[in-house]
Amino acid sequence: MPEVVNTISPKLREALGQVQKPGRYTGGEPGCTYKDKSEVDVRMAFCFPDTYEIGMSFLGEKILYELLNRHENWWCERAFMPWTDMKAEMERLGIPLYCLESKDPLTDFDIVGFSLEYELCYTNVLAMLRLSGIPLRAADRDERWPLIIAGGPCVCNAEPMADFFDIMQLGEGEQMLQDICATVEQGKKLGWNKETLLLALAKIPGVYVPSFYDVRYLEDGRVESIRPNRPGVPERVTKAIINMDDYTPPENFVVPMVGAVQDRASVEVLRGCVRGCRFCQAGQIYRPFRERSPQLISDSARVLCHNTGYDELSLTSLSTSDHSRLEDILDGLNSWAEQDHVSLSLPSLRVDNFSQSLVEKTTKVRKSGLTFAAEAGTQRLRDVINKNVTWEQIERGCRIAFEEGYTSVKLYFMMGLPTETLEDIKGIADTAQKVVDLYYSLDHAKGKGVQVTCSVACFVPKPDTPFQFCAQDRRETLREKQKYLLSCVHSRKIKVNYHDSATSVLEGVFAKGDRRLGKVIETAFENGAFFDTWEEYFDFDRWQAAFAACGLDPDFYNYRPLGLDEVTPWSHLDVGVSHGFLVREYEKALRAETTQPCNRQCNGCGANKLLGGPCFDYSQDLL
Amino acid sequence: MTTVRIFFEKRGEAAYISLLDLQRVFHRLLKISGLPVWYTLGFNPHIYLSFSCPLSLGQESICESCEVKTEAPAVDGDAWAAALQPLMPRGIRILRVAPAQDKPGEIASAEYAITMPASSAAALDAYNERTGAPVVKKTKRGQKTLELKEYLPRVEYQLEGESLHFTLTLPSASGEGVNLNPALLLGFLETLGGAPAWQCTVLRTHLYTKNGKDFC
Ligand code: SF4
Repeated sequence: MPEVVNTISPKLREALGQVQKPGRYTGGEPGCTYKDKSEVDVRMAFCFPDTYEIGMSFLGEKILYELLNRHENWWCERAFMPWTDMKAEMERLGIPLYCLESKDPLTDFDIVGFSLEYELCYTNVLAMLRLSGIPLRAADRDERWPLIIAGGPCVCNAEPMADFFDIMQLGEGEQMLQDICATVEQGKKLGWNKETLLLALAKIPGVYVPSFYDVRYLEDGRVESIRPNRPGVPERVTKAIINMDDYTPPENFVVPMVGAVQDRASVEVLRGCVRGCRFCQAGQIYRPFRERSPQLISDSARVLCHNTGYDELSLTSLSTSDHSRLEDILDGLNSWAEQDHVSLSLPSLRVDNFSQSLVEKTTKVRKSGLTFAAEAGTQRLRDVINKNVTWEQIERGCRIAFEEGYTSVKLYFMMGLPTETLEDIKGIADTAQKVVDLYYSLDHAKGKGVQVTCSVACFVPKPDTPFQFCAQDRRETLREKQKYLLSCVHSRKIKVNYHDSATSVLEGVFAKGDRRLGKVIETAFENGAFFDTWEEYFDFDRWQAAFAACGLDPDFYNYRPLGLDEVTPWSHLDVGVSHGFLVREYEKALRAETTQPCNRQCNGCGANKLLGGPCFDYSQDLL
Repeated sequence: MTTVRIFFEKRGEAAYISLLDLQRVFHRLLKISGLPVWYTLGFNPHIYLSFSCPLSLGQESICESCEVKTEAPAVDGDAWAAALQPLMPRGIRILRVAPAQDKPGEIASAEYAITMPASSAAALDAYNERTGAPVVKKTKRGQKTLELKEYLPRVEYQLEGESLHFTLTLPSASGEGVNLNPALLLGFLETLGGAPAWQCTVLRTHLYTKNGKDFC
């Protein structure tokens, strides 16, 4: 009888026997990469500081996993935050956190990289380091420890986590992470110490070495200056960026066996966004807008569906319908999708260019619910936030959808936006009511009712946006507004969803926080905080105690408007948009003046310098 | 239409793939393989798939099987196995693919190779001396008390260094008949001071039909 290699150690077997869904911790999924570790030069542990199910839904990891593993002598593996039952078992049994492919502990790796997708995962990063037995603070680790690195959108204000990471990646990882691995490979061969390695890494575009910068504070707690403390280190780190057609999107995924949240094939059609919604951080930090060519999208998506066996493909980006050749993309995909039993979905359709033919092209196989992001309830407030959507456009989109047979619509709104009044809150209910009325004014299927869901999120001011200068609404205010909104809804066809705002408070503090918050995060973690994204584990009192213990006032960070000339904790991290642009946009917002989308007119944000030329060719009529 | 049975091993980390997940995995991998498997008819066609006597999570096997159907005139088992193996999750090894001979309803019993720490010998001795060994079995219709001794009067084991081994044959009917999981015995032994289940390995080695032949 031939033996199958059994990589489950007795201790791990014991742990797996006690926990729910052990398949999250075993690896072995189709699509994994295995290599002989004695033959690789660089080993990277790609860590996602949330559950397996959430991490496996994340496209960025799939992109980088494939890119790194294409190098024969590098091996990139995956690790996730174990759920509480598994974490407890691992602690009890002394099992260090390991990567799923090799089952080797994180301490065996050259690089341990974390993806920072949202602020509330920060304590999970510390929990994963602790589970691995790795010292939390970069200052406590010499070259014998793995290089601990971070990437992801949160790095645009890296400071609250700066004490824990050796390097942080600002911007897009495709080239930067390969450059980092190559430098680590070279450093290993030449026996560099940590200082030499960090100096070499600091030369890679987008790489930020926190320990190479000194932060000075004013007496009132604001930042006075952030300066490099070594020669040859840039004053400001400029984010890394790629050309979309230089990189083939992933043609294989590790296919999870235990259900991921997003268990389908996906292909990124564009990066960036042409709209300049003033609340939206992604819309600013991924600038400039870059498209992938329809041919590359269709070809690689087909290979991906074939390799993974997925029968659903989603086209992802911040705003898929803004692709100038979306119809070509859909035609390309539809030329094979039906025969390959693949259905298409577009998760981010926009109301304002939602057309009949688009609906037809995406609903050939399946009809799912429709979502529209209106964001604010009145035209005035939509102008303030530069969400250039009118009621007429919402009405048109809903009319098409209803005529196509949809009976449920989800509308996204935000609450707590700058300049918001109760009239704007009432506008949310009024908008939903008008959608209900529209449905009944049309020829709808007899006996079929309509369901309009308003999903209302709490607005959190984010760095690198025109609203970074604004204070966040206080919890009490938001609660009042929520109550008022409910009192304005008079139809059973309308459902309102909103979340308690305690987690948004912390999100707001970390988003705009400075380096001193590192010790707050560490204190809260030592006092038991992790999985803060999960309501059942989030304990606001524990956080307040941690702030108090560190002598810091959280309100200073999120409830205080920033001066337009203030040195922000992220002023040394350049994502492309200039300070002057943000100030201009902020002032226009207060006057409820809108700004044209980038594909119609350049508004001089400065991000085009990353491309070395204009973002669009305005000589052609694009719209 | 031919019914084709895919025999495979499910070991190591693959022992933790649940039946539901395994069905999804096979469905997807069969689709990728492009093998001429039969899709059910109707609005939402999917590959016809059926697993016989699925294992409990954490148990291993060298005699698992999954049946599919095909309209192909002939089935080249080696070619099917070669097409499937590279797609499989780690721990699943395709052993054989061949037209089905028996119906799943023919399965009557299963053989298991059990390994426990040597320290569990006393619990096994105690079991062998007892006259009764009542265990509670959970079924879809609630709980039921069963007498293990009716099926396993004695368990003969061999000591080998740190561990001990024995073989069990238990009724294993797909569908209505009696179906006993070795975990019932291991649980009972634990009450007698035997090792906890995670220290034991359960490997299913055979599925037998009513007339005592290997299910194929
Ligand atoms: S440079 Fe102009 S076109 Fe380019 S992203 Fe900025 S505002 Fe838009």
